[in-house]
Amino acid sequence: MAATRDVIPYRPAAARGEDTAWLGMFIFLGSWAMMFASLFFSYGVLRFRQATWPPPGTPPLPQLLPAVNTGVLALNALVLQRALSAARRGAKSRVVAGLLEGTLLGAVFVALQVVLWTSLFKSGLALEDGSLAAVVYGLTGFHALHVVVGLLGLGLLLPAVLGGTLNAARNNRLRLWVMYWHFVGVVWLTMYLLIFVV
Amino acid sequence: MTAQEATFNRQVIEALQPIHAPPTTFWSKYIWSLDHKTIGKQYLWAGLLFLLVGGTLAMMIRWQWAFPGQPVPILGPTVLRSSGGVIGPGLYMQIFTMHGLIMIFFAITPVLIGAFGNFCIPLMIGARDMAFPWLNALSFWVFALSQCLVIGAFFGDLGAAGAGWTTYPPLSTNIGTPGTGQTLMVAAVFVTGVASIMGGINYVTTVIRLRAPGMTYMRMPLTVWGQFLTAILNVLFIPVLGAGALLLLMDRLFGTQFFIAGAAAVKGGGDPILFQHLFWIFGHPEVYILILPAWGIAADLLAFFARKPAHWYKGTVLAMSAVTILSAVVYGHHMFQTGMNPMLGQGFTTLTLIISIPAEVLFLNWLRTIYKGSIRLTVPMLFALGMVFVFGLGGLTGLYLGAATPDIYLHDTMFVVGHFHFTMAAASFMASIAGLYFWYPKMFGRMMNTTLGKIHFWFSAVGITAVFTGQLLVGYAGQNRRLWNPYAYDIFKPLHGLNQWTSYFAFVLFFAQAIFIWNFLSSMYIGKKAEANPWQVGTLEWSITSPAPVHNYDAIPIVQRGPHELSNPELVRRLGRDWVGQAEVVAEEPGAARMAQGAR
Repeated sequence: MAATRDVIPYRPAAARGEDTAWLGMFIFLGSWAMMFASLFFSYGVLRFRQATWPPPGTPPLPQLLPAVNTGVLALNALVLQRALSAARRGAKSRVVAGLLEGTLLGAVFVALQVVLWTSLFKSGLALEDGSLAAVVYGLTGFHALHVVVGLLGLGLLLPAVLGGTLNAARNNRLRLWVMYWHFVGVVWLTMYLLIFVV
Repeated sequence: MTAQEATFNRQVIEALQPIHAPPTTFWSKYIWSLDHKTIGKQYLWAGLLFLLVGGTLAMMIRWQWAFPGQPVPILGPTVLRSSGGVIGPGLYMQIFTMHGLIMIFFAITPVLIGAFGNFCIPLMIGARDMAFPWLNALSFWVFALSQCLVIGAFFGDLGAAGAGWTTYPPLSTNIGTPGTGQTLMVAAVFVTGVASIMGGINYVTTVIRLRAPGMTYMRMPLTVWGQFLTAILNVLFIPVLGAGALLLLMDRLFGTQFFIAGAAAVKGGGDPILFQHLFWIFGHPEVYILILPAWGIAADLLAFFARKPAHWYKGTVLAMSAVTILSAVVYGHHMFQTGMNPMLGQGFTTLTLIISIPAEVLFLNWLRTIYKGSIRLTVPMLFALGMVFVFGLGGLTGLYLGAATPDIYLHDTMFVVGHFHFTMAAASFMASIAGLYFWYPKMFGRMMNTTLGKIHFWFSAVGITAVFTGQLLVGYAGQNRRLWNPYAYDIFKPLHGLNQWTSYFAFVLFFAQAIFIWNFLSSMYIGKKAEANPWQVGTLEWSITSPAPVHNYDAIPIVQRGPHELSNPELVRRLGRDWVGQAEVVAEEPGAARMAQGAR
């Protein structure tokens, strides 16, 4: 029976359940990272197929808006991380405030993305305008969908925390959503650097 | 360990996976069931149904190659009435496209991975359910949604999808196939990919977290190893296909130009070859996704029915893991003909041929497992041996295609079709059917008929070998794949007889499956009631009643030994039988314990 003792760490069942959930989320994000890696790979192939980039006849990409939006998501990550540490201390009001700020910043990001797309569209870049348009609209649009999903996650968590107490299950939900938001943030940072900077 | 510690351990183990009350309503029992066994069966029914659809489509292709342009019997006056009962070129394109996509994504995947993965993993590692039961149920229903999209594609305007199972642009863009059928199929592949990823997350997490105490990685049955490695590949590479499908959907629905080049794109268009990269970065791991579970099942069954431990178990595990890793870096061998740098082609050739080393390790291990065994030729064993045989043929023909030099001549011929049917279709089919005969008692509580099973085996084994050998032969003679009427070309006219004979074997193979369908369905009612361990093997699922209870294990088993502890002379002497359960405690003899301590 010695083997049995070795394989059972003496930890409460709830903590082990949380580790399992964390692992599941980790695997999911790893999987989804492959999805975005494939999209960036596609962008690279399309870009190197062109003699010049941006291809002739396409308007220049805006610089200010995506830079501001990168800041918005960075702030969002900071706010959510602080909400998470507040949750670990059990400071409920700080958690609620953090969730509200995080949701707000996420919504600001989506709104600014819509402004970005419309201004690009007005400057004469239609969806059908070759690989640059495809990459800019397609990749940022797909990323924005993930932000919307993250907003839904926070939006559903907020009333639960507001109406109830901070328990282990809710803290774990918050932890997993913060993980998801960090992933979305890192993807955006990569996207920003690859599409708008280099 | 004191008795108190042991009780505490037991409480810790049980607290992790509490027994839930069994579901009572129809809804929670059969529709939104959280039980991994029910979800596995849901996948099984859904997959077998589509296997029949895909098989029917295959028969239509074979009819066209045997009697091109002649009215199809049975289906002609019913399904194909609008086209006068004959298969025209456009319809033919749709038939082989739908055959390929349905068989790979909606028939083999759900049966081999969805059904056996769900059913076997928790049972064989000694867990009460998957790590995320709710996600598991969601995975099935998302998969069911994707099947609905497939059915919808058949009724699309301009017919079903027609761009080949590989869906290469520009043929798969709105320029080549403007119908909604193609759009629905691309969407279906994306949705089924999401379902596969959900399943994969569940399988990987379950194997890592929920193994029973004492079930170390090197004590897991090889079936679980196959499913585990497959799940890892699924999680990593399905998203790449997802990205390809997503970009293609954007091109089709929103007018972006990821894959559109040339005259249709004025402002620096996209690149059709890009899709081939995305498709095959996924596509090569995919062929191992479909064969690793088959290897696992066959390796276990060979050991069980040769009444011997699997030869060099660790070698098999290492070889399967090596294949998993290598499968990620060989995809270029599908693209030798795309204008690839010959240097790169050489690299991909080398990497591809390296896969044959772990594959040989596996193969030799299987042969050494049955060598000098006390072989019991049960129906599952016959199918497992059949899988070894057809996989051998498929693997050997793969060498021709993995090396760039012969591949340039054989590319896009029926030889390729014969090769991948031997590996992906024949070997996966054989292992799936072997698994069904083997786990049927644990799934449904009754035994399938042995005589009918043996008849089914011989029809299947001979049929499969003849059909796919026929394909290899006409391919080696030069016949291109996907030709609507090969005999329109003078050089292929002499192959008509061979193609016709291949088709006759295909029809026999198809209609012989009726034996299986009858056996499978009728045994649920008239089959012999199964005992807990009808095959006399030691893996955990055979230590509980047949069919398995909802919570699987009354007490989580504490595993003592590996999965194939068969014919151990010491245990035969003490227990009087040649098998011992993985969690069975065999009382130590006082002398033996002293000797072991002395040796330490």
